[in-house]
Amino acid sequence: MLPTNQLANKKTLTKELEHSFVSQLEQNQNIVHKICRLYTNDSDAHNDLFQEITIQLWRAYPKFRGDSKFSTWMYRVALNTAITLYRKSKRKVQTQNFEAISFKISSEEYDATVEEQLILMYDAVKTLGDIDKALVFLYLENKNYREISATLGITEVNARVKMNRIKEKLRTVLNP
Amino acid sequence: MDQLEALKKEWQTREQKFPKLTYKEIYPMILKKSSSIVKWIVIISLCEIVFWILLSFLIPESSNEFYEELGLKTVFYWINGVNYVIVACFIYLFWKNWKKIQVTNTVKELMGNILRVRKTVHYFVYYNIGLTALLLAGINVYYYYNQEKLVDILKGQNIYGAIPAEAVVNKFFLFNIIAGVVLIGFLMLFYFLLYGLLLRRLKRNYKELKKIEI
Repeated sequence: MLPTNQLANKKTLTKELEHSFVSQLEQNQNIVHKICRLYTNDSDAHNDLFQEITIQLWRAYPKFRGDSKFSTWMYRVALNTAITLYRKSKRKVQTQNFEAISFKISSEEYDATVEEQLILMYDAVKTLGDIDKALVFLYLENKNYREISATLGITEVNARVKMNRIKEKLRTVLNP
Repeated sequence: MDQLEALKKEWQTREQKFPKLTYKEIYPMILKKSSSIVKWIVIISLCEIVFWILLSFLIPESSNEFYEELGLKTVFYWINGVNYVIVACFIYLFWKNWKKIQVTNTVKELMGNILRVRKTVHYFVYYNIGLTALLLAGINVYYYYNQEKLVDILKGQNIYGAIPAEAVVNKFFLFNIIAGVVLIGFLMLFYFLLYGLLLRRLKRNYKELKKIEI
């Protein structure tokens, strides 16, 4: 048994940790949402995956030393959860309109052809496998190949080669 | 790749429409329990380990007496001793591999570590099935060469009643073989289902990551 004042100290520490974690996640939640959207097909699964990623982030948080940005650290944990730890729920409903909305609403002056191309491109990315999706996602997030290779655990050269192959794959999906 | 570059530009400049969760909505999430694949793998693995350990404890007293009368007691004593050492090694390996699973590993490392935990447990199960099969075979061979003794002992137990000795021995072997085949078949089915449900996706992704490195 710990003395009462030590116990109280521990409690305040936990509270502080919880507070800093939740506020940082609140600020960076878009990263998690983007991953959820890429790896799930309906809003139920989206929320389910968001929940699981939050749990995994929170569990790993005590080990987060702050030697990298919170967002950088998040990529790895969130992708690991989406690709490896998450068990897809059985209720899978293909909703095509789900992504289409996401681009249209937020833009005020949009070019219809660009818009259409974007949606097609987005759909094409969603047809890729789990690993390819992760590569494309990090690429879209403007991560360099060093970061991509460090997240996935492959060499930089191989990440580059793989990315080129994925681009080719996307090209054939888009222009059959 | 113009289209991908275009998407990249848009991806970063435009805010996509996502549910904006508030602090109060996120907070309860950290208190919920995980339903990750690792949790299930650990639960299943522990069940398997406990199952096989219990099985070795649950061999009824009467069969011990049975073996004693056949003069197999010392042999079983030693087999048991060695078995416990091996089981302890497996438990240690399982624990060590399980500790290595960290969500902050790279994707490839995480997958490799999860698969390693499963592999340890698989080897544990293979070891037990192998040992069981070997013992069954060994005992039956021993019975075969000591049939008279066996008949004497079986007569002492009233299960077989008035059935003639020859028939008893035949039934005995038939029962042993059927039980062995059914047990192994059941275990194989169980494994097939378990793998299909939990690890197919992970294995596929891991293979793909390894393929990139070749």
